[in-house]
Amino acid sequence: MENRPLEYDYTVTKMFMFTTIVLGIVGMLIGVILAFELAFPEVNTILGSGVAEYTNFSRLRPLHTDAVIFGFTLSGIFATWYYVGQRVLKVSMAESGFLMFIGKLHFWLYLVGVAAVVVSLFMGITTSKEYAEFEWPIDIAIVVVWVLFGISIFGLIGIRREKSLYISVWYYIATFLGIAMLYVFNNMEIPTILGTNGIGEAGFGNWWHSVSMYAGTNDALVQWWYGHNAVAFGFTVPIVAMIYYFLPKESGQAIYSYKLSLLSFWGLMFVYLWAGGHHLLYSTVPDWVQTMGSIFSIVLILPSWGSAINMLLTMKGEWQQVASSPLIKFMILASTFYMFSTLEGPIQAIKSVNAIAHFTDWIVGHVHDGTLGWVGFMIMGALFHMAPRVFKREIYSKSLMATQFWIQTLGVVFYFTSMWIAGITQGMMWRAHDEFGNLAYSFIDTVTVLHPYYTLRAIGGTLYLVGFFIFAYNIYRTMSARPVEESELQSASPMGA
Amino acid sequence: MFHWLEKHPFFFAVAVFVMIAFAGLVEILPNFAQASRPLIGTAPYSTLELAGRHVYIKNSCNACHSQLIRPFKSETDRYGHYSRSGEYAYDRPFLWGSKRTGPDLMRVGNYRTTDWHENHMKAPSKIVLDSIMPAFTWMFTNLADINTAYAEQLTVAQFFTVPYNQPVPMKDGSTKVVKMGATLADANALALAEAKVVAADMKDQNVKDAIARGEIPEIVALIAYLNSLK
Amino acid sequence: MNIAELQAYGYVAAMVILVILTYWYIYHLYTKKKDARGIDYEEYSNMALKDDVTDTPVSARSDDKEK
Repeated sequence: MENRPLEYDYTVTKMFMFTTIVLGIVGMLIGVILAFELAFPEVNTILGSGVAEYTNFSRLRPLHTDAVIFGFTLSGIFATWYYVGQRVLKVSMAESGFLMFIGKLHFWLYLVGVAAVVVSLFMGITTSKEYAEFEWPIDIAIVVVWVLFGISIFGLIGIRREKSLYISVWYYIATFLGIAMLYVFNNMEIPTILGTNGIGEAGFGNWWHSVSMYAGTNDALVQWWYGHNAVAFGFTVPIVAMIYYFLPKESGQAIYSYKLSLLSFWGLMFVYLWAGGHHLLYSTVPDWVQTMGSIFSIVLILPSWGSAINMLLTMKGEWQQVASSPLIKFMILASTFYMFSTLEGPIQAIKSVNAIAHFTDWIVGHVHDGTLGWVGFMIMGALFHMAPRVFKREIYSKSLMATQFWIQTLGVVFYFTSMWIAGITQGMMWRAHDEFGNLAYSFIDTVTVLHPYYTLRAIGGTLYLVGFFIFAYNIYRTMSARPVEESELQSASPMGA
Repeated sequence: MFHWLEKHPFFFAVAVFVMIAFAGLVEILPNFAQASRPLIGTAPYSTLELAGRHVYIKNSCNACHSQLIRPFKSETDRYGHYSRSGEYAYDRPFLWGSKRTGPDLMRVGNYRTTDWHENHMKAPSKIVLDSIMPAFTWMFTNLADINTAYAEQLTVAQFFTVPYNQPVPMKDGSTKVVKMGATLADANALALAEAKVVAADMKDQNVKDAIARGEIPEIVALIAYLNSLK
Repeated sequence: MNIAELQAYGYVAAMVILVILTYWYIYHLYTKKKDARGIDYEEYSNMALKDDVTDTPVSARSDDKEK
């Protein structure tokens, strides 16, 4: 036996908490800039036309999506894994020098990857596939980072004390496997430098450039099988992992039904992957794939709501906590938005609705009520829960938390309501015909009509960003707040005024 | 059953993988060979067009413009014949896009000219009043990367048997041969010859000077690509 | 029989089997309260609530080794 009592080691968690916040600010700030660029095109050249190449909408757009997905969200997933993983498996990273080393290597390589992504996307080096924009050298780096994450997961599981895996661990394993499979198959590409050997003057052209292994329709099919499920295994599965741990822990309530969680887990695993076809309705992929995508999207409501209802019922008899604790508010709002966007998604996947919704801002709105409302709120909630335990300090300010909560909720509401109206308006105008059967509107008519909604959306995004700055400040001050006793850390997180 | 899996992480992981891999196998594999056969009238991209396609991708044009016409009257009225799978046979990657902040470009070559594109890319809101598209002025000075485009042609010809330097059937029964250079110098010369044709319709003095020097600005390649979309 | 027909038959068969399996399993879960070790399945939620490194695991791995 050791002399010092064994404690959980949160070194790697702290590192990833840091990148969650920094990359969250970067991604959301770029998002707000993009929103203003759509409402007021002059913003494209706000830093002068000399650098317009790097500040205009088209160059920044992949940076926004990748910064929030692979920066903010992925960091949040890693941070919570290194926290939740230890606790539910009842094993400390301090017990294994190897896992500690892997964890740190994981972080530093991840940081190198992030830097490479930022530089390459600013330069316009992209494969154009959404959420898979990186060229092959970065793809390889990402695979290495992901393998390290896998070693961390299975390494910690290998030395666990608790024989049974907790629900969250199921979801983390699924995240690891799902992203691994999807990422590898969607990024199959041949570096063009290989093709130059044929004519005996090898080595010209950009060495990082590659060409997709799939062409046209097949490429689209694989891409949206990936794109849809990158959302599944990046924005749904790991976030569900978080809420299954943090909500019961923070509220002190056991999961409403462990059985229901089992059914919804396997249901989600089976159903989710089929639904990718709903991104390609009325396209040139086979009809049966489209229909399948549509049907499975509807079926997907069941396992999604299974988890969401399980979360809400966990609060049964303890609803006063929602009023008294801002942290519980974050998580309950997150699961409510989860319910909401997993109902909205299937509605958009119905073929006749999709005919109007596809290519419009309604889709953008749908993504954002999922990401801002569900993913963002849950990750911030998780960080708020972890901060006192990781830093052994009380949360700096409860009132700031409440302020942030209401500002951001308002921001999300602005965002999705404006995008709904914008999307449906535009979808209806595109298809409108006059009494002679001619198109009623030219395309630009359907753009100018959106100006007020784009403005509202930009305001909503700004509110959310302001809330995020408050969050960052609150966490920063938490590091120097009043230290707390171990006994105060049982369930509800200690908060200063 | 599942409860047992929860205590055996290896088998748990295997079970999850089988569950999630299943859908992909069923949905993607069966139609793979069929979906990529080119339609008659679809030809591979020339070196300059491919370089233009790279400019299109570099600037994420696909973030705001789709290249997929759905089979609705409103779309075929606005953009032309609806899209067919074989038309995309040489598109690596596909550029369907997911958002139409601007109009579809699948057949933009049918109804826009070099001259229109030149003016529009310089100042979109002067051509289309109230347009929210940003100006892409740097394309008039940046040079197109012909070498990479040529490398890509060689790669697709070698690995995916894309028919360069071979007759491709056209809709009217004739055939068309898309030439690919035998050497790097050859490829650059071909691209320049093509660029001269495009630049002849352009007014920008810097572009004309660059072409005279044997350089190809990005805008020329991009317009060549956009004109090829039919 | 071509591939499309095979797919269709396979699909129907898979659906029937899956529906039967799922409902059988749900029935099984809700009737059998305790597992072989005498632990009610719902007790596993305590893995999150009692997760200090000094807390007793719900079903400890070391139990296996003692046997």
